[in-house]
Amino acid sequence: MIEILELAVRGVPTGCVFALLAVGLVLTYKTSGVFNLAFGAQAYVSAVVFYEVRKEHEWPLLPAALLAIVVIGPLLGLLLDRVLFRHLRTSGSVAKLVTSLGLLVAIPELVRLAFGSESKKNPPPLWYVERTDQWLWPEGSRFVLDAGQVTTILATLVVVAGLGVLFRSTALGLRMRAVVESPRMVELNGINAERVSMVSWMLSSFLAGLSGVLLAPLFASLSPFDFFTLLVAALAATAFGRLSSIPLTLLGGILLGVLQAILAGKLPTDSILANGLRPALPFVVLFALLLFWPGLRSARDAADPLAGVDPPPPPAAASIRTRFLTVGTRAFAVTVSAIGLLLGWFVLDSFWLGLVTSGVILGVIMLSITVITGMGGMISLCQATFAAIGAFTTARVVDSLGMSVIVAIFVGAVVAAAVGGLLALPVLRLEGVYLALATLAFALMFQSVMVPLDWVSGGTTPLRVPRPVIGPVDLAENRAFFVLAAALLALAGALVYVVKRGTTGRFLDALRGSEYAAASVGISATRAKVIAFSLSAGIAGLGGGLLACFYGAANYDQSFNFFYGLVWVVLVVTAGARSVQAAVISGLGFFLIPEFLQRLFEIPGRYVADHPDLPAAVEAVLRTIKPEYSLGVAFILFGFGALTYAKHPEGIIEVQTRAALRKVMGALDRTDRSQPTPATDDARPPDEDPAAPATDDDARRPAPVRTGGAGVP
Amino acid sequence: MRLRVPACAAVLLLLMVACSNSESAPRTAARGEDEEKVAVDAPGVTDSEIRVGGVASITNPLGGEYADMFRGVEAYFQMVNEDGGIHGRELTLVAERDDKVASNNAQVQALLAQDDVFAVLPVATLLFTGADTLVERNVPTFGWTINPEWQGTEEEPKENLFGQAGSYLCFDCEAPIWPWLAQEAGASKVGVIAYNVAQSSECAEGIRKSIERWGPEAGVEVGFIDTSLSFGTTDLSVQVSQMKEAGVDFITSCVDLQGVVTLAKEVKKQNLDATQFIPNGYDQSVVDEFGDLFEDSYVLTFFAPFETEEKPEGLQTYLEWMERTGTTKSENSLNGWLNAALFVQGLRDAGPDFNRQKVIDAINKMTNWDANGLLCGVDWTSAHDQPSENVCSAISKVTDGAFEPVFAEPGKPFLLWERDAPLKDPEVVAGVD
Repeated sequence: MIEILELAVRGVPTGCVFALLAVGLVLTYKTSGVFNLAFGAQAYVSAVVFYEVRKEHEWPLLPAALLAIVVIGPLLGLLLDRVLFRHLRTSGSVAKLVTSLGLLVAIPELVRLAFGSESKKNPPPLWYVERTDQWLWPEGSRFVLDAGQVTTILATLVVVAGLGVLFRSTALGLRMRAVVESPRMVELNGINAERVSMVSWMLSSFLAGLSGVLLAPLFASLSPFDFFTLLVAALAATAFGRLSSIPLTLLGGILLGVLQAILAGKLPTDSILANGLRPALPFVVLFALLLFWPGLRSARDAADPLAGVDPPPPPAAASIRTRFLTVGTRAFAVTVSAIGLLLGWFVLDSFWLGLVTSGVILGVIMLSITVITGMGGMISLCQATFAAIGAFTTARVVDSLGMSVIVAIFVGAVVAAAVGGLLALPVLRLEGVYLALATLAFALMFQSVMVPLDWVSGGTTPLRVPRPVIGPVDLAENRAFFVLAAALLALAGALVYVVKRGTTGRFLDALRGSEYAAASVGISATRAKVIAFSLSAGIAGLGGGLLACFYGAANYDQSFNFFYGLVWVVLVVTAGARSVQAAVISGLGFFLIPEFLQRLFEIPGRYVADHPDLPAAVEAVLRTIKPEYSLGVAFILFGFGALTYAKHPEGIIEVQTRAALRKVMGALDRTDRSQPTPATDDARPPDEDPAAPATDDDARRPAPVRTGGAGVP
Repeated sequence: MRLRVPACAAVLLLLMVACSNSESAPRTAARGEDEEKVAVDAPGVTDSEIRVGGVASITNPLGGEYADMFRGVEAYFQMVNEDGGIHGRELTLVAERDDKVASNNAQVQALLAQDDVFAVLPVATLLFTGADTLVERNVPTFGWTINPEWQGTEEEPKENLFGQAGSYLCFDCEAPIWPWLAQEAGASKVGVIAYNVAQSSECAEGIRKSIERWGPEAGVEVGFIDTSLSFGTTDLSVQVSQMKEAGVDFITSCVDLQGVVTLAKEVKKQNLDATQFIPNGYDQSVVDEFGDLFEDSYVLTFFAPFETEEKPEGLQTYLEWMERTGTTKSENSLNGWLNAALFVQGLRDAGPDFNRQKVIDAINKMTNWDANGLLCGVDWTSAHDQPSENVCSAISKVTDGAFEPVFAEPGKPFLLWERDAPLKDPEVVAGVD
């Protein structure tokens, strides 16, 4: 018992680290309605600023801390509120989550551009004294805390107490929560919701800054991913606090730290159980809490009672075009695809062909997001995991059973679909943020428990996946493989299209509108959603198997790291979650945009080299543009793209398509009116409203409905 | 969330250095202008230049900052070119590709399709998915062997892939260095920590097996082992307290800088009196940053440490050219330098009518490649797919914030053990004769 107690005490400092981050997340959620996965990225900003001024410019501790925490932190919050979240207040929680994912991707790259990408080793502490055993405990005592731990514990307690007072005893605290629930209603009462929201963001961002500076010395060098890793580990504490209770969140964080320490002390250190359970503990706890914790089991995102005053979203592009344009659009799509195939076969060199093939295969995986998010209205953050399951299964089936690779890829898809279906059963009662967190927990559990296993991933050497031979065609040749990838993309796209137009698609449409109304007409939400989850996982698995086959190995770190899954969601949702072509374009964009940017950024350097007589100032400016910025800028673009989601939840491509269609239809209409006779291929009379739906099935589908929580069109 | 592959790279490098007792490769190359220039019909070779290009992880958001490898290659090429080039041609590093995210294979394709290179060097990437392409195309390739793709097998020898000191990677091979060093440090119980990722935990398994095999002779045993740490852990208080209870007095690890620093801080905090062996800790910038955290710790290098007394010719030349080109002396730049040195030696040995295959064959005939004393010696007839018969490395100790080679003698920086012999003191050597 004494031993357990000792271990428990050792877990408290780490528990407070979890608690501090989790309290920050809960504060943001309570006061803005945003489950801010970019909280760690905000913390990273203040940590870097503190590092720069304290270490590089040797500022004294106090001004450095004030700048990083009290100035930069709130300023960042102010900026985020003004530019972004102010416009998201009435959006659903999924829109907010996607926006925070965009920030998660973009902020670290902005920081790298601003402060350089050099390793920032040994972040400076926020305290002077190094050890406490001389002044807090007698020298040589059994438990020793360093000053960082003491500061973290104290800061956590002060923050929790302060927030408790704020929310329980002040009008501001009440208003903050009210603004999240219904800004319109608050404004009807004469409260300036914008100002309250601004204060909320400044406060939560201050807390992010404090966490960043305080926790940075835990790391050997500053990296945004270390903060994010800590943050996802702390998610279990936020779930324990039901995303609302600050004291419970504190308790949850401490319990998590304590549990970790006890497991570290009591489980045999080299046992299979320890290898799997210990690293995965925060994610297992998160998953279990989301499923079983009272208050979360059937949690629903808060819905604004006045949300009904919002105008309905604009109709889908497909629903406004005439039959003539529908045929024309499809002919255009076929032509573009054919040109793409011809380019791939005859023109592209092996480099560009490799990138395009990777993009085409990623397009298959992106289609899985179209199904789950676009059709199902659910956010899944584990699509990369399903792709990995497909890839590993493909490799194992080929290796162990000697099965044909093509067949194995489909077996991988089936296994991924089965896993998706199984996962769907327990998590489908969740929605919005809660569902997203459950899928994230699943992805992290898979990474921590399954990936290290030799029989799953091959251990140190990634599992080999050979290229298939189909009849006389050897797909070891990259051009032939490109055609195979394009064919499978077309197959997956057609499948998605058919399902979207079929019974399941219509059921999902109805469910997104109103689950209760759908149930009243006999639609089974569980059945439809399980099918959507399985189909989505199966398509991701298909893409994963294909990607492994293209690369020659099922390599988790190369292709399926869960972080990639987050970036993919951002890309697809930005481009258009309901659109097949948006998924394809997202897949291609992930690989091609950084390369295009690199080519672009090489131009100034070449220009300088070719023009030695340039004025020094011009040369200096041009030299600041470097090709190595290309990936960072691409990620910034991806991230900022997601920020448009609030304004255009239907996606950029859908918006552009609709705008283009309106222009074309307007021009056609003017042409038709100027004609003496109404000769047209269109089935409709020329004087009919061009915006009227075509008789196409797409047009008969109900217009997207705002769902309070889901926010997906 | 940094990628986890390089976590125990240096430990593996120790294990793969292949040594032999055969003849040495020629130490001094002929000057370029003395050489005959003949027409060569090979990709990337013109009348005036031999084009090479490399790929490194530079801006990958998941980690990797290996751009210094290019600087090492560039410095070596500059030295050769100032000396008249080779076979009447200058060596040109025409492409420094960044493999960004998940695009290693594509960048390798670009080197071949767009940059028209004769050879690929350096390769220093978190993931090396372009290896198959390079093997299929039989392109001489040189790089930093932290990825399993470098290693050949009997069925697939990958004889065109050359690591800086061999290509064979053995994650769980036994080596006598751990029990021997623990014994030298006066220790009897060894603590080992590793992450629960395959490379790291297998490395720990190798240490455990080594101590079980030679430990009884050295009076050393495993007192504590934990192979289930989360990658990037920030808390090792329980592990260190358990080591303390188990009487551990020698600690080694298969973790990255984050793990090493967290461990060292906790050891210091809990006043655990144990010698630390940080195999991949040879980085002056780390020692500079973390002050006395690593004082008295041992580190391992597969090359002659920069601080070696009576430096071998290869080390002197490297240090001189790092200074001349303003390049940081570091393991990264050294790896690039070694890659370039091996390539150039292969070109010389291939003769004036060289081509890719001749260069590959020439290198694979070398039985003792030592880069003029920078390395202990690599037997390229077996270094692709077999562990070496010997283990040969240099050990340094952190003393007053600087690395001090230990157990070495002036001009003899390396310690040589027979892998399959009973434990005994290593032979102190300048290299394998």
